[in-house]
Amino acid sequence: MNHPVQACFRSSRTVLACQTFLAPLLTALAAISAVSDSASAQTAFTLPAPPFELPIGPSLSGNWTVMVGVGGEYKPDFVGANRSMLSPVPIFSIRRAGSAEQFRGPRDGASIALIDFGDFRAGPVGKFVASRKANSYSELNGLGDVGAGVELGGFVEYYPVDWFRTRGELRQGIGGHHGVVADFSADVIIPVIQRFTVSAGPRFTWESTKATSPYFGIDAVQAAAAGLPVFNAKGGAHSVGAGVQVSYRVNPQWEVHSYVEYERLLGDAAASPLVALRGSANQTTVGIGASYAFDVKIR
Amino acid sequence: MRRSSRCVSFATVVVLAVSVSACAMLETREAKLQEVKTVGIISAVGDEMSFARTGLTGLNNRSQSFPIGSWGLDDLIVQQATTALNGRFQVRPVSYQRAAFTAIKDSPVAPVNLIRGDPFKKLVQTEVSPQGLDGYIVITKAKANFGGGGRKVEGVGFITYGTLLASSNHIHALYEIRVIDGKTFDVIEKMTAQPLDNTEAVRLPGPSRLVDESFSPSTGDPARNENLHGAITDLIARSLSSTLSDMHLADVR
Repeated sequence: MNHPVQACFRSSRTVLACQTFLAPLLTALAAISAVSDSASAQTAFTLPAPPFELPIGPSLSGNWTVMVGVGGEYKPDFVGANRSMLSPVPIFSIRRAGSAEQFRGPRDGASIALIDFGDFRAGPVGKFVASRKANSYSELNGLGDVGAGVELGGFVEYYPVDWFRTRGELRQGIGGHHGVVADFSADVIIPVIQRFTVSAGPRFTWESTKATSPYFGIDAVQAAAAGLPVFNAKGGAHSVGAGVQVSYRVNPQWEVHSYVEYERLLGDAAASPLVALRGSANQTTVGIGASYAFDVKIR
Repeated sequence: MRRSSRCVSFATVVVLAVSVSACAMLETREAKLQEVKTVGIISAVGDEMSFARTGLTGLNNRSQSFPIGSWGLDDLIVQQATTALNGRFQVRPVSYQRAAFTAIKDSPVAPVNLIRGDPFKKLVQTEVSPQGLDGYIVITKAKANFGGGGRKVEGVGFITYGTLLASSNHIHALYEIRVIDGKTFDVIEKMTAQPLDNTEAVRLPGPSRLVDESFSPSTGDPARNENLHGAITDLIARSLSSTLSDMHLADVR
């Protein structure tokens, strides 16, 4: 199942799969489509071998599947906001031809499985956290900025059966906040037919005080400037929710997908005056996208 | 002015030195292959066949294995590879302990594989005779994920992909080819056999195709299923020459 993600570096020894922002490639999509529209999953075109090769690592020769696409995500302006905004999400991935794409949830961080037993996988994970600028939204006036940051940590994933995935991520914030975030999810993955897959399951997030406070705490100065009461936000259960996603492979090249993720803020995140008075504890994200895949052969 | 000129000279020297070192290090695989004249071929792919279910399955979805040594797939692979390589290399017969090659498994912990290096290098050194050829072509089972879940498949096999409304059967012959230097035992080249030009919605990263229920190992002794035998043999025959060509070892398209 494939959906737009902002950064992804899942890989194995033989598979390189990475989805990232690559806007210029999207412009090339139309041209590439024209070239390979009748090529089904067969090789669209052949590239010459690179002029040199590194002495280590696997050869680049062979067939590669390149996927390009675009999606849109309608999500709250900031965590706790009651208004949402639609933003474009480019899709790009490259992997060995035929390599199966592992199931991914929309909330998953970008991860690499360094331990891979098939049904049990574990490794490092990372997630980008966008900045929150007080002057971007009227609800935040006077609350001060929270810088962009990353959360780095580890993940574990377990498939008791092929159609059920459980996943946990534990991440330490660097930059925007300096707290700890733990995400838990479970997904039932149902292939309705070979081309059409539906998945759904519950979500839960726990955050430490240092992860919650920068976004939901209000000190005396901010309270005076924003006209909100002082609030000392502490950590704990942050949100609970559920998600569902569907993907349909129109043909070997085209795939469309969509997802809805709902979360209900809990604890001090929900109790913060920013959310209680100016926002909403109900947070819904809707995503939709389409991607086109074609094979490239490197001699 | 003089100082900036000196800086530019220093930078030029550094760039030149780095470039020369890089060129020396980046000796291409093609250049190494040019030095290989005599090769031996080792195949350890086809001793058993796995039978697995994935997708929407019951709770007990463990895979089973059946012996298919009687099909002589490894002899077929050696024979076909010999034919494909004979134009470029002198292929010499070699003897080896096939079981030792099939027993090698990748560690599920990726860093362990990086630290221990390629285990087939040592096996070629200790389990193959004669020694002293310029290179050894080692053909062994490859492993891959199938479907979006955690299912892994390896080597020769039959897999049923179950969905809510229908299920499909696939056969696969996943293998990888290494060229090992006969003097240093370094891996000169390594490649996994590529998918054939099939257009199924669910593909494997290697030779595979859709088949009907008559190919299923559950309908009798798989070793006696001539449909299955013929289809697997065809997968290997069609993919081997193209993989050797992709590795620049043969030009047999």
